[in-house]
Amino acid sequence: MKDQIRLSGSFKIATGILIGIGLVAFIAGFITDPDRTWANYLLNNYYFLMLALGAAFFIALQHISQAGWSAAFMRVGEAMAGYIPVAAIFFLLIIFGIHSLYEWSHPDAAAHDELIAHKIPYLNVPFFYIRMILYFALWILMIWLIRKASLRADQEGGLHWFHKSEHYSKILIFILAVTVSLSAVDWIKSIDVHWFSTLFALKNFVASFYHGVAILVLIVFLLHSKGYFEFLSGYHLHDFSRYIFMLAIVWGYFWFTQFMLIWYGNIPEETVYYVSRWGVGWKTLFFAEIVINWFIPFAVLLPTRTSRSKPVIFSVVILLIIGHYIDLYMQIIPGTTGMLQFGFIEAGTFLGFAGLFALTTGYWLSKAPLIPKNHPYLGESLEHHF
Amino acid sequence: MSSSHLIGVFEDESGLVKAVEEIREKDLKIEEVFTPYPVHEVIHAMGTKSKLQVFAYFYGLFGALAVLAFLYWTSVIDWPINYGGKPFNSFPSFIIITIILTIFIVTVSSLATFSGRAKLWPGKQHKIYDLRATDDKFVIVVSKDKTDPEKLSTIQGIMKAHGAVEIREEEA
Repeated sequence: MKDQIRLSGSFKIATGILIGIGLVAFIAGFITDPDRTWANYLLNNYYFLMLALGAAFFIALQHISQAGWSAAFMRVGEAMAGYIPVAAIFFLLIIFGIHSLYEWSHPDAAAHDELIAHKIPYLNVPFFYIRMILYFALWILMIWLIRKASLRADQEGGLHWFHKSEHYSKILIFILAVTVSLSAVDWIKSIDVHWFSTLFALKNFVASFYHGVAILVLIVFLLHSKGYFEFLSGYHLHDFSRYIFMLAIVWGYFWFTQFMLIWYGNIPEETVYYVSRWGVGWKTLFFAEIVINWFIPFAVLLPTRTSRSKPVIFSVVILLIIGHYIDLYMQIIPGTTGMLQFGFIEAGTFLGFAGLFALTTGYWLSKAPLIPKNHPYLGESLEHHF
Repeated sequence: MSSSHLIGVFEDESGLVKAVEEIREKDLKIEEVFTPYPVHEVIHAMGTKSKLQVFAYFYGLFGALAVLAFLYWTSVIDWPINYGGKPFNSFPSFIIITIILTIFIVTVSSLATFSGRAKLWPGKQHKIYDLRATDDKFVIVVSKDKTDPEKLSTIQGIMKAHGAVEIREEEA
């Protein structure tokens, strides 16, 4: 079985070009429009961090539920989670653009704004950084432990490391539940510092799981087309699409719940968020977001036949890449630049981060055999049927 | 109604599935298979296709549209009341009721369809060929009336070859 990945030269060149485009877009952006560039920097960094966290949550979930079918795909999730340290570096660099992004970070913001003054004990620059470092430290530690357990199991076999990863996964899930929610509030929601929503963090948590799984499926498909995972059957595809289908519903549920509660409550400090996303042009994106992220996956993956078809799932996943971008675009851009624009800066930063994410994931995939060979449920995963 | 049956009892599902597959390959008819828990391979091997999902889909479509129409009729046409300045046709607030009632309608009508199709109703005395099929045995039932008498021995042979622990004929 072909299970050792070697990064081909063309892959390295392709990702290198993408990162180059990103750098050019970034430098050009800094000269022409720093505010807009920082907003895109945050957007794309958070975009790919969410994918990594979603993948980490996915593998943790497979470990604690002792899922059999997914045992062969664990390395893909581990490799995606390997992007977290890279994202950490980029997040720490936000210190240079913090004033472009967050209104509360201005030293005089509290003086003439009662609401910000009230939130300053939590939302201040030093504490913001302490929390950020704490989140990343916890994530990297737990991902490293799970990865180590998985690699040690490859060498030593037995059930010891299997139980160990389950144990780590329990801790990771608990950590993720708290930190992903808090980090979404810190990094994204605090852009709209005057806005209140209790569902925001949960919605982003689900979005991260949802789109993380979608990208995991995409990577599995890409590897499959290169000749890896030759055991991939309709049953695996069905389980993957059930994951996407189920998470589409959960995502749509939280998206709608947040909207409906605010619409129904009709309190000015809550509705302001949607008012600024209801203008000319924004309204199209607003509806595109729910159609792409909920309606299309839901409708397309409903029948059994389409949910076992690789081209169909592939198209849905490609669509979800756009859907995830729109989701974050709607959360970040209105509060920062407030201008609906998509040009070289937007496209370039996205491509740059995408290249970096692909390179990091590829690097981690190439560091270990693709199939965890001593996983106790490996046989069940290879022969998966129902 | 009197009928006679050939009953094969298996210890495990893999033997059962193989026997079902082989009997069906020979174009012979199996009346029914009983297992203590759902075995998906048996459904595949029996080649039965269920249309219940299609029915459920249309029940859902009908349910959602019917509930939305009902809500529109009550709150816009028949008895419009101004709640907190909201428009009469408050579509977002209809959604939750629509979801819940759609699930309810789909569940109840699918259950009714399934029961009707499977000829099940409360208090029905069902023919149980082997009580152990509710415990730890897997049972294949072949109708003797609908099968060529000389083919019966073939079926018996297939059952035996795949590890049937007991094969008996029952007249009822």
